[in-house]
Amino acid sequence: MIQLHIPDSFIPLLQAAVYWVIALVFIALSLRWARAEMREEKVPLVAVLAAGIFAIQAVNVPIPWGTSGHMVGAALAAIVLGSPFAAVFVLTLVLIVQGVLFGDGGITVMGANIINMGVIGGFVGFYSYKGLNRAIRNPYPAAFVAAWLSLFVSALACAVEMAIAGTFPLGLGLFSMGLYHAVIGVIEGAITTVALYLIFTARPDILPKESGVTA
Amino acid sequence: MKKDNILIFGIIIALVIAVAAPFIASSNPDGLESAFFGIFGAKEIHGSELNEDAAVAAEEQVQEITGNTFSYAAPFPDYSIEGLAKMGEALAIVAGTILVLLVAFGLGKAFSRPG
Repeated sequence: MIQLHIPDSFIPLLQAAVYWVIALVFIALSLRWARAEMREEKVPLVAVLAAGIFAIQAVNVPIPWGTSGHMVGAALAAIVLGSPFAAVFVLTLVLIVQGVLFGDGGITVMGANIINMGVIGGFVGFYSYKGLNRAIRNPYPAAFVAAWLSLFVSALACAVEMAIAGTFPLGLGLFSMGLYHAVIGVIEGAITTVALYLIFTARPDILPKESGVTA
Repeated sequence: MKKDNILIFGIIIALVIAVAAPFIASSNPDGLESAFFGIFGAKEIHGSELNEDAAVAAEEQVQEITGNTFSYAAPFPDYSIEGLAKMGEALAIVAGTILVLLVAFGLGKAFSRPG
């Protein structure tokens, strides 16, 4: 059956525990970020983004090779809310609901899923967007590439974790995860760019100054 | 657009996606699963044919490799509600979307910087 995220059986318990500890550090940092930076008036936007990301993650789009993929949304959350920790905050919540209620993604390995999608997805998405947008001064291609990269790097990180777990050989794991997610990343990039465009067009003022979007 | 309007528009989009998801989503294995089946010989990495028996065997084999036999019975496994087919999935994803909305709002309020 379709498991969209790492299932329990893919990582030995001890390694899974290490990923949980690392994930908890980032969750704590994301809560500290929220206290310091997330203004109360932003909370409805955070909630709507989280709900939208949960819904869109249920839509698996077919790609070649009998495979499918879905958006993760970490880059979008980080760009719109102006911090990679926003992605950690939102994706952690989405992953907990998916895992606990719907068995989508394991429980013991949830830390690894939070690291891959929330932490790596959020940081790669946010900083590559920032750098690219500064270089080319156009938020939309910057967001497309940043979202593609965030998904692709998350997938490669997952392949490395699978190799440490003994589940995938490193080379073949990197190759197949890279191949599939290079294509799935196009979906991530496209939806992120369209969503950013809609949000920016409707409410230019809700985008953070740091995100560098200019009219 | 007014601030409240864009939020309501966003919630409507999320709910429309949630209802449509089970009807439009591909049932092909996702990227990680497909890589897993490819590596464990249940499918060609570039092929689209999945050998169901080999897929089941692969899932048993990986448990032996990692020793992680933890299993958790989720109340609505794979977004399904017992006895309800596709409509049950739509209902499950809608309920999940609303739950995420409410929990994110509550936690957001609890942890945000007071304005």
